[in-house]
Formats: sequence, structure tokens, C-alpha cells
Amino acid sequence: MTTDLRPGWTRRQAIAVTGGALAMPFVSRSALGQGAPWWQAIDAALPLIGNATPSTEGLAIDLPFISEDGSSVALGLSVDRPMTNEAYVESVHFFAPRNPSPEVADFFFSPLSGRAAIATRIRLNESQTVGAIARMSTGEVIVAEREIRITISGCLTRAETYAATDLMLTRVRVPEGLTPGMPGEVTTLINHPMETGLRADAAGNILPQNIIQRFLASYNLATVFEARPHRAIAANPYFRFFVAPPASGELYLRWEEDRGRFSEERRQITVA
Amino acid sequence: MATDTVVLLALAIGILFGATGQLSGFCLMSSLRGWWGEGGDGRKVRTFALAAGVAVLASQILDVTTDVDLGRSIYAVPTFSIPLIAIGGALFGYGMIMANGCGARALVLLGRGNLRSFLVLLTLGIAAQITLTGLFAPGRVSLLTETGSTIATPTIHETLASWSIAPDLGRGLTVAVVASALIIFAFWHRAFRRSPGQVAAGLVIGLLIAAGWYATGHIGADEFDPVPLASLTFIAPIAASIQFVMLSTGTALTFGVAVVGGVILGGFAAAAATRSLHLEGFTNPRSMLRYIGGGALMGIGGALALGCSIGQGLTGLSTLSLASFIAVAGILAGSALGIRGPIRLASPTP
Repeated sequence: MTTDLRPGWTRRQAIAVTGGALAMPFVSRSALGQGAPWWQAIDAALPLIGNATPSTEGLAIDLPFISEDGSSVALGLSVDRPMTNEAYVESVHFFAPRNPSPEVADFFFSPLSGRAAIATRIRLNESQTVGAIARMSTGEVIVAEREIRITISGCLTRAETYAATDLMLTRVRVPEGLTPGMPGEVTTLINHPMETGLRADAAGNILPQNIIQRFLASYNLATVFEARPHRAIAANPYFRFFVAPPASGELYLRWEEDRGRFSEERRQITVA
Repeated sequence: MATDTVVLLALAIGILFGATGQLSGFCLMSSLRGWWGEGGDGRKVRTFALAAGVAVLASQILDVTTDVDLGRSIYAVPTFSIPLIAIGGALFGYGMIMANGCGARALVLLGRGNLRSFLVLLTLGIAAQITLTGLFAPGRVSLLTETGSTIATPTIHETLASWSIAPDLGRGLTVAVVASALIIFAFWHRAFRRSPGQVAAGLVIGLLIAAGWYATGHIGADEFDPVPLASLTFIAPIAASIQFVMLSTGTALTFGVAVVGGVILGGFAAAAATRSLHLEGFTNPRSMLRYIGGGALMGIGGALALGCSIGQGLTGLSTLSLASFIAVAGILAGSALGIRGPIRLASPTP
């Protein structure tokens, strides 16, 4: 039995159109060359692009397609470029255009990073196309974007099962078994509510903004990695980044709050 | 990585559950029909009761002796809506009778080749997700806000502690009373005592509940990125599995989804080993309506009640949380309406 298609369509055409239509939800309009690039509407993004013509290859945004819990979405950013003294990724900036303020965080790397990659958890207000801009020390600019859907939280709201009561308490995991120059992963977390300044308490008074505004990692006194979170970094800020130490030494970590409080950690990394 | 280990454990737990379910016919619906209906098999409800008793005992021992803290599970969240959970449970119970088995049973039967279960699972999963994050979600959330209450002591032993009974004593007493009531009820029945297969099934499934808590709560424990604390439940995970097979390139594999896959595999393996594989479907179109309706009611009711026959009946109960007792009461009430009384349904002839 033959299927009746609209006159003039071959089966192959129909399949091609359907396949394209099914992929549509996850290909944003600007990626298709329709409409202005996402960064043009964001003031903070324009100076990062400057006069450069950004390339679209090499910057990966790792984000789920759908998240039920917009208050803590796992984000991964990585730039597929070597990190050498001559050419390295200087910074990656992440934006969520539909959040109350579009800037989510700025991340700064150095040749000591070994890999320009960061994992963290962010807050997303609603379904949107998020974007990232990477700047190389050579002046090259790379952009990327990704669509994500945020739904109403179902009944399974995640209650974090780690201890999050002591304010400014930090946790650090450093890599082991490294050889000189080999990138190793550092995992960090600090207990902090990351109060956005948009929430009201039970009485209706707006709780003032209180966030960790700077996270710094240095190795034997040389800066490795820096994060400048804005209020869209999720509560209890989690940062996972890389360091490629040339020799054994001390990793120094520092978290600074916008009210002046800070936390510090020092860890030894042994390099074979 | 902890998550990978947890997923593998989930698969193993699911396979064991599926195989046990296939070999023993473990099923709350059959249990209740056998218990309340005319001339049924009274053993199965004892199997379920044994599983529940073992689950409570083993899970509470785990809570006290390891870093697993059941007070952090969704069943022990202090804010919930008593009416929504009760009504959800009742909808689930009635839907279970309509569909001739709950979600977990449908997974096992699907493994055996029952295509009616395929239909039930699809409608259950989609209806659940519609209720959780789809068209019914705004309604559900406003109902929750209207009828919700915050209970400072969401579990039985915490409530006892607030009445000035020492916490360890309160917990010990509660576990002793609940677990022994269920286990004594089970073993009081002579035919059950003489069915080693049913006794074994009850034991295994009860222990699997505790295994789930151990996998997510202990193996999955991480200072930075803990796996969400959960054990066997089959409403949201069935919905999540449908989504996962479609969105796997952008969605992570979770404990629940791995369990669902395992149950189908375990049911299939056990059916294959006992030569019980048998493709079956519908001969009567009106029956399809009944099964679709049953699946939908289970999905909606289960989403409202935060769990199903296994999710609340075994896993939720093992946390001794008040919400779970309410949900189980609702499920039993809804099932009773399906088995006896003015709106009862006869066993289907599909």
C-alpha cells in the first residue's frame, strides 16, 4: 500500500524535511544565519568581541538539553586549543541573555592551566539560548551558543545531600600522580548562599545581594585561574578547573565575598 | 566516577528486581485482588508485606549505621500537600486496577513480551511528565501551594522525638512495630509459609530497596557532586526513561532510568530462561481504552503522590515518613474502589 503524500513531493523530500524539522528545536535561529548574533544585544559582551570576527569552532558548552531545576544547572565550558606561553586562552565569558542580568561569570586562564576548561553550576531563569565568548592571547575570539529548556520543577527537587551549613567553609580536591606539565583537575566548593538581591524574605523585605565575587587559584605564587562569578552562579559555588604544574609546589586558593569576607586554602601538589 | 558506579549498581538492582518479579509474579494488584477479591491467591499480599517489612528494617539499619541519611530523601521533605498525596494515591490505586498492574509490573511483563504493558508504560510515563513539568504542572503547583502544609517532623520517629521520646528509642520502637507487624502478617499465612519462592521474593525485593539507598546514598556520596538520594520508584523514572532514550545526547543517565532498563532486561532474561516469553496484545479494542486510562491515572496519581506501589509502598515506607503512610493509604483506598464496591472492575479480558 502506498502512502499518499502531497502532490509533487517525493518520499525522499518528505523525509528530509521531517528530519530537519525534528532537529529544529536544538538549532538556534542565529546559528542558522537568521537574526542578529546573540551577543549584540548584550552590553557587556560587545567589548569582548571588539572588532574581531569571531570564529565558531573550538568553544564547547556542555549543558543539558532540559533542566527541571533552574537553580542549579551543571555547566561545562572548554576550549579546544593548546595552552602555551605563545598562544593560550585568556578568558571565557558566559552569558544567559534571559536572566535578570545576562552576565553569569568570567573565567581567566593562564599557560599554567594546562587546559582551558571549567565546570560549575549556574542559575537559569527560563528557557533560553545561552552564549559564551572565548578570547585568546593572540586576539582570536571564539563564540558558541546553546539552547536549553527550563521547566517547572517536578516533584523531585534535589535536596543537596552534602553539608552546606557552615558559611565560607571550603572543600578542595587536588590531583595526584601528576608528571611535570600534565594537567590535573582541581575541584573546589565553598558554602555560600549566593544571595542574588532579588529574593524577598517571608516578611516581604528584599534580601540584599551577597555573593562570592572572586575566586583565585595560584600555584607557587603564579596565577593559574581566576573566576569572577556574578549572581547567576548557583549557591555553594562549585568550580572545577585544571592546573599543569611543572614541579611540586603549593596551590593557593582564595574566595572573596562582596562584603569583604574571604576564605583561603593551601594544598600541596606532588609532581613526580 | 561515583555516578558511573551508581548507574551500574542501578542496572544490577533493576535486573534482580525484574527477574524476581518475573519468577514470583510479585505484584501489588494481584496481591490485593487475591486478598480482597473472591477466591484469590492470598499469598501474594504476604509477599508484598514481607518485602515492605524487610525494606523498613534494612533501610533503617542502613540509616543508623552508615552515612546514608533517609531524612534527605524526597519522602521526608517537610512541605507537602496531604490532600494531593492522598488523592494522588487513590488515583494511582484505581489506575493500577484498571491497567491490571502497576508500572513496575508493566516493565516486568514487557520483558516477557506483553505489548499491553508497552501501551501502559507509554501512557504512564507521558501522563506523569505532563503532570510534573507539562500542561498540568501549573495546576499541580497552584494546588500544592493552596493545600500544602509544612510539618516540622516529617517522619514518624522525628514526630515521636518531638513528643519527648528519645530519638533512638523512638526510631527503634517504630521500626520494631512496623516491621514486625508486616512480617508477622506475612508469615501468619500457612500457604505463604510453605512457598519458599514467595518468601525469597519478599526478602530479595525488600533488600533491593535498601540496596538502592546504599547505592545512591553511600556509593554516590560526594562532597562536591552527590548523586540524588533515591531508591526504587517507577513513576518519574519511567517518564525519564522515555525522555532519556530520545535526548541521551544531552541528558545524563540517572539511577532511576538505569533501574527501569534493568527491570525490563531482568524480566526478559528470567522469562527466556523459563521459556515463558510470549508475545501478547489486545484482542478487544475497548480493553485498550481501559489500559490507556489506567496508565494515565497511574501517571497522574503517581506524580501527585510522589510515588507508586513500589515508590511509596516500599521505598517511601522504608523512610518511615508520614507522607508515605498517607500515600500508601490512598493507594490502598483507590485499589479497594477498583476491586470492591460500586465502581469495581472485573479482571480484564484483553
